[in-house]
Amino acid sequence: MKKRTLSLLLTAAMTATALAGCGGSQTTTGESTQAEGANSGAGASTGAGETKAEGAGAGAAEFSYPMAAGDKLSYWCELTTTVSANYASLGDTPFAKGWQKETGAQIEFLHPPTGQLKEQFSLILADGNLPDLMEYNWMVDYPGGPEKAIKDGVILPLNDVFEQYCPNLTAYLKANPDIDKMIKTDEGHYYVFPFIRGEDKLCNTIGLMLREDWLEELNLEVPTTIDEWHTVLTAFKEKKGAAAPYCFEYTNAQYLNSDPFAYAFETNRSFYLGSDGKAHFGAAEENYKDFLATMAQWYAEGLIDPDLATLGNDQVSAKITNGTAGASMGQAGSRMGTWTTAARSSNPTFKLVAAPPPTLEKGAKAEFGQIENKYSGRASVAITTSCKDVERAARLMDYAYGEAGHLYFNFGTEGESYNMVEGYPTYTDTIMKNPEGLPVSQAMSAYIRGNYNGPFVQDIRYLEQYYTLEEQKATGGTWGDSNGKAHVMPPVTPTSDESREFSTIMNEINTYRDEMTLKFIFGTESLDNFDEYVKNIENMGLSRALEIQNAALERYNAR
Amino acid sequence: MMKDKKMNGSFGYRMRKDWIRNRSLYLLVIPVVVFYLMFHYKPMYGAIIAFKDYTPALGVAKSPWVGFANFTRFFKSVYFTRLIKNTILLSVYNLIFGFPAPIILALLLNEVRNKHFKSITQTITYLPHFISLIVVTGMLTNFCMTTGLFNDIIALFGGERAPLLQDPKLYRTIYVASSIWQEVGWGSIIYLSALAGVDSQLYEAAQIDGAGKWKQLIHVTMPAIAPTIIIMLIMKMGSLMNMGYEKTILLYNPSTYETADIISSHIYRIGLLDQDWSYSTAIGLFNSVINFGLLIITNKISKRYSETSLW
Repeated sequence: MKKRTLSLLLTAAMTATALAGCGGSQTTTGESTQAEGANSGAGASTGAGETKAEGAGAGAAEFSYPMAAGDKLSYWCELTTTVSANYASLGDTPFAKGWQKETGAQIEFLHPPTGQLKEQFSLILADGNLPDLMEYNWMVDYPGGPEKAIKDGVILPLNDVFEQYCPNLTAYLKANPDIDKMIKTDEGHYYVFPFIRGEDKLCNTIGLMLREDWLEELNLEVPTTIDEWHTVLTAFKEKKGAAAPYCFEYTNAQYLNSDPFAYAFETNRSFYLGSDGKAHFGAAEENYKDFLATMAQWYAEGLIDPDLATLGNDQVSAKITNGTAGASMGQAGSRMGTWTTAARSSNPTFKLVAAPPPTLEKGAKAEFGQIENKYSGRASVAITTSCKDVERAARLMDYAYGEAGHLYFNFGTEGESYNMVEGYPTYTDTIMKNPEGLPVSQAMSAYIRGNYNGPFVQDIRYLEQYYTLEEQKATGGTWGDSNGKAHVMPPVTPTSDESREFSTIMNEINTYRDEMTLKFIFGTESLDNFDEYVKNIENMGLSRALEIQNAALERYNAR
Repeated sequence: MMKDKKMNGSFGYRMRKDWIRNRSLYLLVIPVVVFYLMFHYKPMYGAIIAFKDYTPALGVAKSPWVGFANFTRFFKSVYFTRLIKNTILLSVYNLIFGFPAPIILALLLNEVRNKHFKSITQTITYLPHFISLIVVTGMLTNFCMTTGLFNDIIALFGGERAPLLQDPKLYRTIYVASSIWQEVGWGSIIYLSALAGVDSQLYEAAQIDGAGKWKQLIHVTMPAIAPTIIIMLIMKMGSLMNMGYEKTILLYNPSTYETADIISSHIYRIGLLDQDWSYSTAIGLFNSVINFGLLIITNKISKRYSETSLW
């Protein structure tokens, strides 16, 4: 009897899994179809009502904020962690309330679940019921690029919109032709209200740092060349007992893409702009071999963390703060600041110092260095084809690029989150010493967007106040001391036809490069095989990828 | 029933008859049928994007057809053979070492006479099943570091510390061993229940015939649980190629791609991160077809040699 029940049960379970197996393996399709139903609520809020207020467009010159009451606009964006710590929606923050009050627009905010930005984006697109405004990286993360998004009928080309309704942004672009060039497609279409870093210093975000207290104790200078770094790391290992003198978050692609030691050899693991004005793929060039040779030597000598490949932020933070490591790479805020605060509770003398981009020769100015483009595509807002009141949407967005809006996005409300002290917007204690005990980053996020991103121009004066430690304030100048700007790839876009081909090729190459880079560093693969490695990369279609990249670069230059 | 003139009536008639007689049973099954139709059959329609160049803006129906382009791209990929090899090897190791483990554990537990010890052991062995995968891999990553627990043990016995997760040769061992650790207790439950169903008279009879513990095991216990084992094996075979990507992407790193990169993690990197849905669907479909084939073959073999089969 029992046996029979059991086998019945088994058969049932079996059929279930067999069926599940058939349907379940195409997860992506499954999800998107399901979501069609689940998601239809998200875009539904667009609301009907009167369409385009045509009359208002005529008097662009007389326009002033706030706008008259009208339709609610739906606005889709990712909720950053410093906001989501205290608010369920951006709409609940004082920032968003004030923004609506100032502009007269009413906004309904929609957010994807944390960490599911891209998935949700695809689902909304598949659903077809788009929010009016969508904040996203339209340049990089829309398959096929921004021009394709326009052609697919997802977003509007904004040239006419800018001209008619956006005096602030138009004026800004006229004054900054370099940025004007970045935010267009090759065909000359504007497609977003961009997030722009206002100054170069805001673009030097990542760099090397090491223990200044150790340097003083060992009577050493802050290293500037590869040789000096070798001396310092060796001293850290031998005299300070650091088991992993140099240790950084290897699993973070952003760090690998801007590795200061690779820059020292005037190379990079990815694309860079050569002195010949052409795109180069660093990881397949001779300089990369020299870089790898040095890294392999350091690794063999125990100067680099032996667990390199598996290092995440948690492990690196622990090692830096407890003195297992003495040097690392990262941002001034989320790394240097956080580590210093954490370490000082047990070790009051703990101090980190930023090191300049290393070079090969003493005293030479670094040719390469980390610098981001002022426009990276991130957190930029497009008006979708579902938007019924384009003028209203455009006016709302244009506000941030005017004087009042610029102050509002970077500093908040005067008298509440900042005061003008001798013409300098100074954050109040609501931000800097929050009465409810919020960390500065969270207090800022309640009142402004200046400390993370969004459709506006970021102001350096936010950063000057956000960094509380002297060593943090010094990072911008130290890390930016290179000619790196001449070698960073501008934000080029392959054509929609080429983009699939390009990503197919680069996928294979990048996987291979990542694998071989580690093997060369660990010494499991001899550098004698570097030529063979380069040949393999070429066989994967590197020259075609470079061709696409260079054509895109030419189109970019011709904009 | 006997009154019915159309006792051997049409199929439709019999269906109706059956429906009326067993309506409560049919009612019970409706939710399950709807569930499968909704969540397992309807999405199958989406599989056609494997033959299209899918963009969400155009939707499934309007995206242009591309034929087998997505499949040929996968077959032509430089990683094709490596991915297939890694997937099969990892699966096979998981099967060879992972499949017998719960059976052995169940047999051992079955011989334990101390009730307390038995239930404590059972609880301890199936507890890891409830630990979230992300926690398990987080622990593994830390244990495998040069300063981690495993290296502490290695050092204790005079071995040399090494970053274990950076060695492609160790990857499969770590993967399979941790899977066994996590699932052995849970997997043994079904065998324990099968063992509980063995008639104790059979053991007595065997004892009278002079069979020792070992002989009892071979001639009484094993035949009794053989059908369960075979069904479980067929089920395992059906999902041989279906190695989930979750554990792999949490455990691997570029230095172990050589042995660690499997089809699903490849799909994850290309399909989901680069939003190349058609390509990843094509690979998924290819995978399912192989699984389907394996399931049928195993079932055939089993039917021929052991009379136990799914259908």
